[in-house]
Amino acid sequence: MNPRKLLRIARWEVTKNAGGLDRRTIAVVVVAVAGLALVAPVVGVGGVGVDDGIYRVAVDDDSQYDDVVANDSTFTVREASSRDALERGTVDLWIGERGVEPADSRKGAAAYEELRESASTYNNQQLAKEGNQTAAFPVSVTVQFREQASLNTSLGAGSGNSDGDDSPATDPDDDSPSTGGDDSETDQSGTEDDATGSVGDDDSTADGNTGGAPPGGVTGPLSEDELSGSPADINPPFPFQSLVLAFIFVIPLNFLIQAYGSTMLSERLKRRGELLLVSPVTRLDIIGGKTLPYFAGAMVTEGAIAVGLVYVARGELGGLISMLAIMPLVLLFLGATFLGSMFARSFKELTFVTVTITVVLTSYAFVPAIFTDIDSLALISPLTLVVRDLQGEAIGFQGFIFSTLPPLLSALVFFGLGSGLYREEDMFDQRSISGKVLDALAGPISRPYHVGVMTMILIPFVFVIQLLAIALLFATGDLSVPLILVVVAVVEEIAKSLHIYASYDHNRFDATARVAIVLGIASGVGFFLGEKIALLAQLVGLQNLAVAEAGLSGGVADVSGPVVILFLLAPLVLHIVTAAISALGARKNRRAYLLALAVAIAVHFVYNFTVVRSFV
Amino acid sequence: MTIAGREISALSREKTIVLALIIQLFIAAFSSFLVVGLTSLYDPGSAGGEIEVGVSGDQQDKLLDAIAQSDSVSATVYESRAAALEAFENRAVNAALTARSKQTEQGNRIAVDAAVPAESLETTLIVVTLRDLLSDLEDSERSVRTEYLEFSPVEIADDPAGTGSDFTQYFSFTYTILLPLLLFLPPFISGSVVVDSVTEEIERGTLELLRVAPISLTDIVDGKAFAMILLAPLQALLWIALLQFNDIPISYIPLLALLVLATATITTAIGLLLGLLTGTRQKAQLLYSMIVLLLFGGAAALPEHPATTAALLAVDSPTVTTFAHVAGYTLVAIAGYAVIRWYVGRLDPESL
Repeated sequence: MNPRKLLRIARWEVTKNAGGLDRRTIAVVVVAVAGLALVAPVVGVGGVGVDDGIYRVAVDDDSQYDDVVANDSTFTVREASSRDALERGTVDLWIGERGVEPADSRKGAAAYEELRESASTYNNQQLAKEGNQTAAFPVSVTVQFREQASLNTSLGAGSGNSDGDDSPATDPDDDSPSTGGDDSETDQSGTEDDATGSVGDDDSTADGNTGGAPPGGVTGPLSEDELSGSPADINPPFPFQSLVLAFIFVIPLNFLIQAYGSTMLSERLKRRGELLLVSPVTRLDIIGGKTLPYFAGAMVTEGAIAVGLVYVARGELGGLISMLAIMPLVLLFLGATFLGSMFARSFKELTFVTVTITVVLTSYAFVPAIFTDIDSLALISPLTLVVRDLQGEAIGFQGFIFSTLPPLLSALVFFGLGSGLYREEDMFDQRSISGKVLDALAGPISRPYHVGVMTMILIPFVFVIQLLAIALLFATGDLSVPLILVVVAVVEEIAKSLHIYASYDHNRFDATARVAIVLGIASGVGFFLGEKIALLAQLVGLQNLAVAEAGLSGGVADVSGPVVILFLLAPLVLHIVTAAISALGARKNRRAYLLALAVAIAVHFVYNFTVVRSFV
Repeated sequence: MTIAGREISALSREKTIVLALIIQLFIAAFSSFLVVGLTSLYDPGSAGGEIEVGVSGDQQDKLLDAIAQSDSVSATVYESRAAALEAFENRAVNAALTARSKQTEQGNRIAVDAAVPAESLETTLIVVTLRDLLSDLEDSERSVRTEYLEFSPVEIADDPAGTGSDFTQYFSFTYTILLPLLLFLPPFISGSVVVDSVTEEIERGTLELLRVAPISLTDIVDGKAFAMILLAPLQALLWIALLQFNDIPISYIPLLALLVLATATITTAIGLLLGLLTGTRQKAQLLYSMIVLLLFGGAAALPEHPATTAALLAVDSPTVTTFAHVAGYTLVAIAGYAVIRWYVGRLDPESL
């Protein structure tokens, strides 16, 4: 790779690329972005009210419920002369002398429940106007989120207990002058602020490992360490910020990959890329040069967003950590799009590929961030680092590595596979997407041990998918462990065997059973070695969750003595056996491969399930 | 028409439309998973089991009365807050509550200090359960003090059918988020595909070949557009059928199909115009997604957002405004498409 040549290609890409944007387009884009920026707050604040008027209610003007209904925009008042309207289905709630009656339907039940909730909101609103606030809100609540002793090591946290005891006791006394007598709702921000200070201190003494929140009011508006107010005010933490952040950071990337995918694919139309390929530069120069402007553009945009958000949230310059955290995500988007544009035959296909990338990666960035309560799970997404950075919380080095390394490695794999296809014979032919996938996988393989290396290369990818699956399936409760095991078996077996099938498809090896078993062993060993990346999860203590435990380590619990050797060897044997099974199928044809793969998945699942059942 | 047929068959041959359907299904599954998962997190009933709280403080009797009324909380009494907190730290109880009487200028208030786990999936459940519990306590305390209050709170009895609030959330999510999402994604993708289709012909120079055939440029454009416009309502109907199959009744299906048809016509018209104007995919796609997003967001300025229109129709609560909106979209779609045809008719094919 030659930096000068790379930069020259980058300059061409910016100035005179075939698909480069002219001034008129940029002007329109700027106007559109400005328009979106104007619209976004309206939509974001919920001004749109998508559920406006979905329930129809018949209510008298003089009924006490009239105000409640008028107060909630999900209700619309319909004129109805009699209760029959309920049976005829023209209203969902009938409010008459006998109180509130719902229609006999799902909608009626939903409307009734909605009315109950809005009645309580309405009551609280009215009570807030009362002169005697103590009588109106006779109960005041302060909810603290406190660490509990972890399940295994109750001794370690025991020392923190004694510190923790006295400060909460003094805590409410601090608040009482300000809460008492006033309207608890308006006063809430004040109480929250000084309370968080003490809780912040409290945390850092109770457990030193998370780094805790800095003391004082620095935690800013995103902090959720404590809730206080009347009972109606205490709502569980909802990851609204993560949602907003996900969109702010991810949406620009979606536009970017549109342009990036187009320019990459247009090289492949009408053999345009031929010119660059025959010039005295290497493939990597071309790819690097064509990618650099988009990467730089993305980082400038995301950097501006990060610095801007940090400035808004904390009132100071910063955001370096956010930028670093978002970088792997940018690379992942670009890498996936690059590979996609190498696979796609036409713009139409590219559009579908881009949409897939957008959906999958957005959920990767967003879903784990939902579980803000659960540290280790939230850290799967790099966006969590951004949230922490915005809150001014310290981010542990281990956590940083855990959430950024897997996407970074996956991005590199994408680029690596894609650049393997950046050759004349691959770029300008019209093989189908699945054919291209096989080409990409089979390309670097020519000897049996390459299979093992390829398996290792695919592992970050497997890891990312498993992490995403853990985050996705986490909330399903009791079902989550078996479901995770299914995902694990499927993903791991595919990762171990797809390239074996690809190399057989390209006639790289003899179709004998002996060779197939050798390939299976190579792949299994490769996977066993590469799988150690899952140890990363221990950096942030993810294995404390049963789901994650099941998903990542196949249930290898804390055991000692000779059993350890068994536990080390058993997965190795498993990986080899299952890989050999699918390799045996792969040597014949596609159908035999799929059949063998299914068998391998089943074996893998049964093994994992047994281990998890007996040891967790 | 032949060209429309060709477009559709090319699409199905590429199997990309299957991919598109899978993606839409994924998005739908993903978002409904999200809401089901989240509501089950938030709903005490669905997760099952009751929570155990440690109670202390001088007002603990009132708290215990409220707990006795509740079937999702059980209590253990501790001597002091310190003892309750210790039990909490050792995971003997899910939460520690201390109820103390607190003097204010206007009388006494019960101050409850609650400690809940900081890092646990159950946190949400515990907080929600405590909120319900304390709201009951608040209600009973308030009823004792009604003489000091001018406003008498509106009372509503518990639901006779016994469904929880998560049901309402799920119900409203299905109609106001999921259904509009499923209905408006196909038109968005249709327009995007038309952009690809047009710019690809221009960039590859294959438009020349089509023009050798005895058809006008308008015919070609019509063919490409019709294929995609018709595909959108078909997909929408498929989703509606799927929802119906899951016992989610959808009303006004023909009008919903019309709404999708109109939206698809509008997005397709925008896509065609941009494709023909710019001639390159990169520019056209970028502008297309920007403009469509802007229009969809900007529609908030209308009395009813298109998503709301779709929801109201589906849930069987439309008003005159709703019907007017559907009619309006249809008119805009017809007019928009007429403008495109007029533009294409005037366009010199040689200039592309």
